[in-house]
Parts: sequence; structure tokens; C-alpha cells
Amino acid sequence: MEVDLLSGPERVPVSPVAPALEARRVSKVFVGRAGEATLALRDVGLEVQRGTFVSLIGPSGCGKSTLLRILGGLEQPSTGEVRSTTRQERGGLPAVAFVFQDYGLFPWLSVVDNVAFGLRMAGMGKRERHDRARAWLARMGLAGFERSYPEQLSGGMRQRLSLARAFVTDPEVLLMDEPMAALDAQTRLLLQEDLVRLWEETKKTVVLVTHSLDEALLLGDRVVVMTARPGRVKLDLPVGLPRPRNASSATGVAFSRMKADLWAALRDEVEKSLEHS
Amino acid sequence: MTGVAAEAGDAVDAVDAAVAVLRAAERRRHRLDLSLAVATPVSLLALWQAAADLHWVDPRIFTPPVEIARAAGQLISSGTLPSDLAATLARLVVGFVIGAAGGTAVGLLLGIARPLRAALSPLFTALYAIPQIALLPLLLVIFGVGETAKVLTVVAVTFFVLEINALSAVRHFDPRLVEAGRAYGASGAKMFRYVLLPGSLPAIFTGLRVSIALGLVVITATEFVASNNGLGFLVWNSWQLFEPDQMYVGMATIALLGVALTAVIAALERVAVPWVHRRSR
Repeated sequence: MEVDLLSGPERVPVSPVAPALEARRVSKVFVGRAGEATLALRDVGLEVQRGTFVSLIGPSGCGKSTLLRILGGLEQPSTGEVRSTTRQERGGLPAVAFVFQDYGLFPWLSVVDNVAFGLRMAGMGKRERHDRARAWLARMGLAGFERSYPEQLSGGMRQRLSLARAFVTDPEVLLMDEPMAALDAQTRLLLQEDLVRLWEETKKTVVLVTHSLDEALLLGDRVVVMTARPGRVKLDLPVGLPRPRNASSATGVAFSRMKADLWAALRDEVEKSLEHS
Repeated sequence: MTGVAAEAGDAVDAVDAAVAVLRAAERRRHRLDLSLAVATPVSLLALWQAAADLHWVDPRIFTPPVEIARAAGQLISSGTLPSDLAATLARLVVGFVIGAAGGTAVGLLLGIARPLRAALSPLFTALYAIPQIALLPLLLVIFGVGETAKVLTVVAVTFFVLEINALSAVRHFDPRLVEAGRAYGASGAKMFRYVLLPGSLPAIFTGLRVSIALGLVVITATEFVASNNGLGFLVWNSWQLFEPDQMYVGMATIALLGVALTAVIAALERVAVPWVHRRSR
């Protein structure tokens, strides 16, 4: 009774907001040509709240990329389910956009047509989609390269291009699969800063798969550590670093302590994955 | 001007001078490449002419270039060479277009439809192993000594080359690009039209380049034995009448036709597949 008295109107708990993405007891089995089965994921549960940035980290081959693709609907879970509260279609545009490690750019399309690809598939007219694509190219520092082809660009420029392709569709959810793994260390630092800035401006729901502890902490609101194959969630660490963040956020005691915690959780798993392979 | 600025100015001048020297050297090398490329065949022709004139070789067999040119002039003015060229070109182009269109369509279809591929791909691979010219007698039995049989030999060789190249392009398509296409809303007909087809064009053009050359071989061989006009007939008939000067004219025309058709394909390729040629320029 006391509890009821204490709870004024402002204290009534709001109905819990459903997460933008939720994986429930997701498992994934791959069957090879010789019929051999590989369990990539086992009973993975993951909630991604709207407007948060979740970094996903784990040893090589732990199924984190598979989980990302399942979350984005590019792959079906063998068991379990993925729930999404994103509006599925907005004028034919997918609610989820991907950024791939190897960029996944179409070599036969010019830079501007690569960016506009999703808009074109959604049936948007040429002028409008090119205008939007140009605006994002300018924002990503690629103005003047509209008529080039991806192969003429450097790695860092290609990844900016693939970010522009994702952002131009104004997705609710952005799924990034090791987007900076193929870049050199300095380019990587610059792009991480770009991403921090973009995220803080747009507040998309993001899941980022990465190998880098620094990147996971610098960018994420949470860092989820996965076990060696079959992948499960081992640790879900909130990152309390203040925003806005920049490269200097990756210094200081709090950062170092979190990095040590992450490595402590990850180290055993990396060793296990080495023993397996 | 301060000392530092003056030094900087000097450095810029020195760099400009070095760039000019390097550019001039590159231009010289380029000119040398060009002159060597022209000089080699011209010298060989001159050597041939001299060898024939001085009877180092038998001029009745190795007709000297000047005689060949004279024979070419006669064949052109009599209208023989243009009509033979037109006959061969027509057979080759008709057969090539039909075979290329059919082979590309079938290859792409087999690439995306697994049951069709399982049913037909091994059969086509086995048929490709038969030299297409070996089909000629059968085609002559079926269609008689008309144009159909001759064109069909070209269709056969072009079809199989394009079928195999287009099928392989789809089968070995970069799965990451298919996934990227899917992630951005391409599926079904859109996936085919905007991802698979443009991504397969380089392999299709490779097939076109290979099959235009093979088609020329096949139509020449066909005209040797089953035709009374065309460049192949000109060469074969000249041999039978022992007129080597005309034979050389026919051979040279076939060679030039091959070069010209390959250049046409290459020009089409530059238009249709511009990204391949702009790579790391």
C-alpha cells in the first residue's frame, strides 16, 4: 500500500520501450558441402535499445558477423527469433543499412551511383537520388569524386563511400561489420572520429562488429563480448565515457580499466579459438 | 625576399626542372617504342621483297610483297575481293550475333537456375569439347549447301564460348556484392538487372573477344570446303589454281578482318564496361 501512495503520476513506470532489435535464443548451424555441420551461434540473446551504439567483440570465427547478418535479415536463424520494432518499409527503403568490411561497393557503378543504389532500388527518381547522394558525398569529404569509380579511390575513401551509401537511405538501424579492419592505423583513427561525430549527430541505432578493443570502447554505449565458437554472449559492459567523444576519450583511467576488463573476458576466448583452429 | 623564401623558390625551380627532364625522357622512350613497333614489320616486308628479288627464296611460292599488292589491286578493281569480304563478313556477323545473344542468355539463365544448370550444363560442356567444325558435315546433310549450314558453324562456336563464360561469371560472382545488393533492396529481377548482369559484363566481353577470333577460324575453314565465295574460298581456290599471289591477298585480308573485328569488340567494351579500363589510372 505504501508503494501505491508513493507513486505519483510522474513515478508510474512508463511502458517499457521495446528494443529496436532483439535476438532471442538465436542459434545458427551451417551445413557444408560434405554434410558437416558447424554450430556458429548458440542461444544468443541480445537487446539493442533504440538510439544506442552497441559494439560487438569476440575472437575470430565466433559468429559475430553471422549474428549481425541475422539481426539485419540477410541470414535466417536456425532456431530462435529476431524481433525488430523498426518500421519495415519507408517508401521501399529498408529500415536497416549495412556497412561491410570489404566495403561491398559495386565496381561497375560510379561513386554517386553507388551511394544512390539503395534509393534507386526503392524507385526514387534519378535527380532526387543523385541530389541526396551528392549531399552525403560532400558530408563525407568526397565531393568532386562523383564520377570516379570505386577502384580509383583509396581504402579510406571507399569506406567513407560505403558509409555515405548507408546514411543516405536514412536507416533506423545501422549494422557495421568490421568497417575499418582493412584500413591502416592512421586512416582508421580518422574514420573512427568521423563515426563518433556522425553517430552523435544522427543518434542511429548501431551495432558495430569489431576486433579492436579501443574502437569498441571509443564508439560504443555498450560493449558485448562473445565467446569462442559456438558464440554466446559472455559479457555486456556499459561504457560510461561522456559524450561528445573524440580520440582523446580513449585515454584516462576509466578507459584503461574498461579495456582491461574487456581483455580479461576476451583473452580466454581468443585462446580457446586458437586451440580449435 | 627572405633567405628562407628564396631557398624555397630555388627548391621549387629545381623540382620543376627535374620533372621536365623526366617527362622528356619518358617522351623519348615512348617515341622509340612507336618507331620500333612500325620498323619491325616494315623491315620484315623489305627483307621478304629482297629475298624474293635476289632468289634467296622461290618467288613463285613466296610471292614478293610488291606482287601481292599488285594482285590485291586487281582483285579489288575486279570486285572479287570486296564481294568475298562481304560474304565472309555477313556469315560471321550473323552467326556471331545469334550465337552470342543465345549463349549469353542461356549461360546467365543456367547461372541463376540450379535445376536447369544440373540438367544442361554437363551436356553443354561435353558438346563444347567437340570441335565445332566437325559439325559441318552433319549441318550440310541437314541444311544442304546453303548459307544456313555455314552460319550455324559460327553460331555453334560463339554460343558455347558465351554460354560457358556467362555461366561461370554468375557462378563465381562475388558473394559479397550479392549480399550488398540484397542489403540495399535488390532481389529477384532487380538483383539480376542491377547486380548480376553488370557484374558479369567483363566475363561476357572476354567471351566475345575469344569467340570472334574462333568464329573467323571456323568460317574460313567452312569456306575452304563448302563454299564458292568468301575469303576462305578465295584462299583455297587460289591454292588449287596455284595462284599464290591471290592466296596471300586472301590470307592478309582475313588477318586484317580479324584485327578490325577485335578492335570493334574492344571499342564496344570500352563503352559498356568503362570501369574496367579506368582501374587504377
